[in-house]
Amino acid sequence: MNGNLNYIIRRLIYLIPVLLGVCFLIFILFNVVAPDPVNMMLGKHPTADQIIEVREQLGLNKSLPAQYLDIVKSAFTFDFGRSWATKQQISTMFMNGAIPSLTLTIPAFFIATFSSIIFAVIVAYFRGKGVDLFIRVTCIAMMSISSLVYILVFQYFLAYKWGLFEISGYEYGFPNFLYYVSLPILIWVVLSLGPDIRFYRTLILDEIYQDYVRTAKAKGLSERTIMFKHVLRNAMIPIVTYTVVQLPFLLLGSLLLESFFSIPGLGDMTISALNASDFPVLKAMSIVSAVAYIIFTLIQDIVYTVVDPRIKLQ
Amino acid sequence: MLKQNTINDVRGAMSPSKKADKINTVLKDRSLWLDAWHRLKQDKIAVVSLAIVLFYAVVGLLSAMGLLAANWNEVVGPSYAPPSADYWFGTDFLGRSVSRKIISGTQVAMSVGLISSLIAIPIGVGLGACAGYFGKWVDEAIVWFYTTFSSIPSIMLLMSIAFIIQKFQVEISEVFGANFDIGLFAVFIALGLTSWVGLCRLIRGEVMKHKNREYVQAADALGAGHTRKLFKHILPNVTHIIIINTSLQFQIAIKSEVILSYLGLGVSGQPSWGTMINDAKEELARGVYWQLLGATIAMFVVVLAFNILGDALRDALDPKLKGKS
Amino acid sequence: MSDLLEVKNLCVDFNTPEGVVRAVNDISFTVPQGKTIGLVGESGSGKSVTALAVMGLIPNPPGFISGGEILFEGTDLVKSQEDYMRKVRGNDIAMIFQEPMTSLNPVFRVGDQIAEVLILHMGMTKKQAWDRAVDLINQVGIPDPSRSALKYPHEMSGGQKQRIMIAMAIACEPKLLICDEPTTALDVTIQQQVLELMFDLQDKYKMGMLFITHDLGVIADIADDVVVMYRSNLVEQNTCENIFTGAKHPYTKGLLSCRPALDRNPERLLTVSDFMEEDGSEIVVDDEKTIKVDKVYNVDEEKNPYLLEVNNLSVHFPIKGGIFGRTVDHFKAVDDVSFKLRKGMTLGLVGESGCGKTTLGRALLRLLEPTSGQVIYDGIDITALDKKELKGMRSRVQIIFQDPYSSLNPRMTVGEILLEPMKLHSIGKDKIERIEKAKWLMEKVGLKADQLARYPHEFSGGQRQRICIARALAVNPEFIVCDESVSALDVSVQAQVLNLLLDLQEEFGLTYIFISHDLSVVNFISDEVAVMNAGQFVELDQANNIYLKPKEDYTKRLLAAIPKGIPKSLIEGQA
Repeated sequence: MNGNLNYIIRRLIYLIPVLLGVCFLIFILFNVVAPDPVNMMLGKHPTADQIIEVREQLGLNKSLPAQYLDIVKSAFTFDFGRSWATKQQISTMFMNGAIPSLTLTIPAFFIATFSSIIFAVIVAYFRGKGVDLFIRVTCIAMMSISSLVYILVFQYFLAYKWGLFEISGYEYGFPNFLYYVSLPILIWVVLSLGPDIRFYRTLILDEIYQDYVRTAKAKGLSERTIMFKHVLRNAMIPIVTYTVVQLPFLLLGSLLLESFFSIPGLGDMTISALNASDFPVLKAMSIVSAVAYIIFTLIQDIVYTVVDPRIKLQ
Repeated sequence: MLKQNTINDVRGAMSPSKKADKINTVLKDRSLWLDAWHRLKQDKIAVVSLAIVLFYAVVGLLSAMGLLAANWNEVVGPSYAPPSADYWFGTDFLGRSVSRKIISGTQVAMSVGLISSLIAIPIGVGLGACAGYFGKWVDEAIVWFYTTFSSIPSIMLLMSIAFIIQKFQVEISEVFGANFDIGLFAVFIALGLTSWVGLCRLIRGEVMKHKNREYVQAADALGAGHTRKLFKHILPNVTHIIIINTSLQFQIAIKSEVILSYLGLGVSGQPSWGTMINDAKEELARGVYWQLLGATIAMFVVVLAFNILGDALRDALDPKLKGKS
Repeated sequence: MSDLLEVKNLCVDFNTPEGVVRAVNDISFTVPQGKTIGLVGESGSGKSVTALAVMGLIPNPPGFISGGEILFEGTDLVKSQEDYMRKVRGNDIAMIFQEPMTSLNPVFRVGDQIAEVLILHMGMTKKQAWDRAVDLINQVGIPDPSRSALKYPHEMSGGQKQRIMIAMAIACEPKLLICDEPTTALDVTIQQQVLELMFDLQDKYKMGMLFITHDLGVIADIADDVVVMYRSNLVEQNTCENIFTGAKHPYTKGLLSCRPALDRNPERLLTVSDFMEEDGSEIVVDDEKTIKVDKVYNVDEEKNPYLLEVNNLSVHFPIKGGIFGRTVDHFKAVDDVSFKLRKGMTLGLVGESGCGKTTLGRALLRLLEPTSGQVIYDGIDITALDKKELKGMRSRVQIIFQDPYSSLNPRMTVGEILLEPMKLHSIGKDKIERIEKAKWLMEKVGLKADQLARYPHEFSGGQRQRICIARALAVNPEFIVCDESVSALDVSVQAQVLNLLLDLQEEFGLTYIFISHDLSVVNFISDEVAVMNAGQFVELDQANNIYLKPKEDYTKRLLAAIPKGIPKSLIEGQA
């Protein structure tokens, strides 16, 4: 147990260089490589006074190392300043955007994951038979169509033509939001099925060829017991840990779905920031997602020890 | 096949190059890649997929050389003419032939795949091989480097890089000339710089595994240096991963181009499937479906072919996974 | 006594891309109640497939039973439905597999895994099954059974895991127990304990036993009757006693003679090919050809000066711990080892898994950096050499590894593999000369000279090991470390490779360090033997002295655990 605690502390300490690296990458992209934002903000012919004033406002008159330190500071304090476009506090924007995003992504993710696992188990159980082949071919075919096409076609037919769903927009509060997010959720699930079923199927099949399955057969267990008790319990180890690292991305919403269906979530916010060259929002978004990702990889390691009795953290 | 190819023959009166050929056949009369190709040939669907991919590549090449659909910009009929015998896939807003745009778009699709691979492979393989082979602090530094890269969601990074490159329109067109397609350039670079991480991870793991194999230790015991161990022994044994990964990279690149077009970060000076699909945002409500349909079909066929080819390559080149798929 | 199991004209086929391959061809044998039938054969002879056929577990596709009957208490299992087979498996017929490491489900407690069978076949409640499982764990001799039942497989040693497998197999008191190489993966002392346990349990439950192994020594200890399989066919079937005293089939004779024994010390081993032609016809072995001469240990100061001197060699691996992963302790893989070795002699290094013998072998060549100590080879301290000097040394000192499958680069042809070391050390003035030498080497190790363009995967395990030997010889070394070089090979192939190593030693005056866990093999090939345990030498002496007059307890225990290779009835008869 002591070893586990040591490991977690060590991993937490390891977060620091990675976070500094992320900040550096963002710094290089937005503060070093990117052209001076002042021109973008003030149009073609600003006066010299305007330029000086804006530079000061944005903290661009500081030296590069100082600018880097500002980014690092924001990564630890989560104080990202104000948006250039909306002039709002970015942290407030995050708070406002998180709820619509989560109402879309959480149900979508869980429905997609559960249905993929169920399909994958069916496919693995009937491996080599017709059902298996049919689902696998369908998966590959589904993966070969652009996600934008799904969005366009589903919106056109299901919402516009047949009126089964709202075309776009969002309302806060339960159950109102459901009218707006159900179509995006459906599209998310359809998009995830192909790659997820294929991936989970591989994980399950990896287990089917293990020696302990032969032992289970020699015990006289039925094919079904072996599949659901022995194989699935082992396959759940990679499945669960794979699922955990995807969780932080749920917070960030879906860029494509939100902006297309005008859901005022974090994904939509990011796209608007991109169109408005709103650097602070883009930077904040990158930093927050990186922090979330790093923390969840740590959680993934801890989950490993819970689901797999063999693993001890070191 | 040459059997009992006696060296004395070789020492006889033969031209030097022929002599060298003959010596080499004693050592090697066929390559393992050829064996893999024979395995791949057994799989009819894979061969069809490969043919499709090659067909697209040829179409893309011909259109890049201006031999095919060079006149895509020409107005051939009324605005938004539906598909008919005259225009198979109808016309667009400006009355241009959609079929020609699809053909011309092949060039963009294949080049984003190719060039982003050309950027990602050297970075991914170089860093992955160094990390896996040298271990210790080299490994730690490289792992830190790609962890940093992968911590930011790839779509964010892709978007940011493409966005920033596009801001340099003026400077870049000064260097490459006014006709240079900055959008396409941005797509190349952004895709190349974001897609090396996966390959790097794979290669690192694989090199680590091979490094501890006894054949590498034997090479060590025979006095082989780092360069020889890495390039002559280990890398040839991980090459198949690069090939399989490239097949994957093409389809990811082709699909990403669509997303970037949607974000307004795509190709601007020439037709691409992404911009065509993106145009359908406005068109669908008016019942104009043919640009979307045409581009989707063109894309579906080649991405499907890459998908199937990727799986088939895995089976043919990685025999240990055989029977598991 | 009635026959419990009767296999009649069994045939098993496998569909492969190259067509249908017959894995078991028309074999018949019986297992009477309470008796043990030993099924002997080399890898690929069809013995494991036979066992799986009895269990109804042949992987289908690609395999299927294409003919014959398997009568278990009169019921033909081949014709039985899967439902019926499930009731038989684990209940009436149980099976133990070779790999204890992977045969247990890693995520369930061992107690639960045993209880599962009881709930399934005996209709016990969870509580009853658990209590019975604890009782069974006690019966198979694992200490503190109620606590052990709560453990996961990875928390147990290999021997304990195999005991758990046995507990699982005997849980429903089966009438027939099938054991597929159950002790092959275990150290020799553990093997002996597990065999004794199985013998006791068979006695207690009156089980019929089908015991599959490649090791005739084990068969002699345990079997009543022996069935010998060779290339999918049954070649000989007799009582254990008769097999060992008067084998009739040339293959069986070859198999018996190619296994080195502790009480004999011949200069060469007779192999299967001495008794049988490739096509299966018998060669008459005249007594002149049978080598009975014992090797003698003699040292000639002139011819055999000291070549290698190892002083206080240690290899320690750091154990990391604490928040910053600092080194908190060291694992002493090799701990203060010193010895001397004369030119042209062979030092055998023997010990159980994890004793440090492999680490020592690699440290001698500096494939691993030693922590401290000296390795003085022909007056040169290897541990003090710089990179360039070390490369020069590489042509004098070579190593041959254990696994013939991973020790050759799969992407290089044999020719390229053999030419590489010559090129590295500038042996031969051009490619043509090197090819000539490669061909000569191929013939020296008993392969064909025109096979240089082939890839390793086109060769069998034994042939690959010959290629490894050829590669080591390509640089004209004086000294070779053989690290478990014959352990992965079948006994008959093992004998051929051992003979080859001896011939080469004779011809080129080579000096060997021969590392193995197999005491009989080490005894056969070595002049001197060092017994290793926990990183240290327990005992170092002439081979004969070690085997006949061991001084240390550890050595005595190791020796006592080796199967004698003589049927019990014969030993008792002599007594």
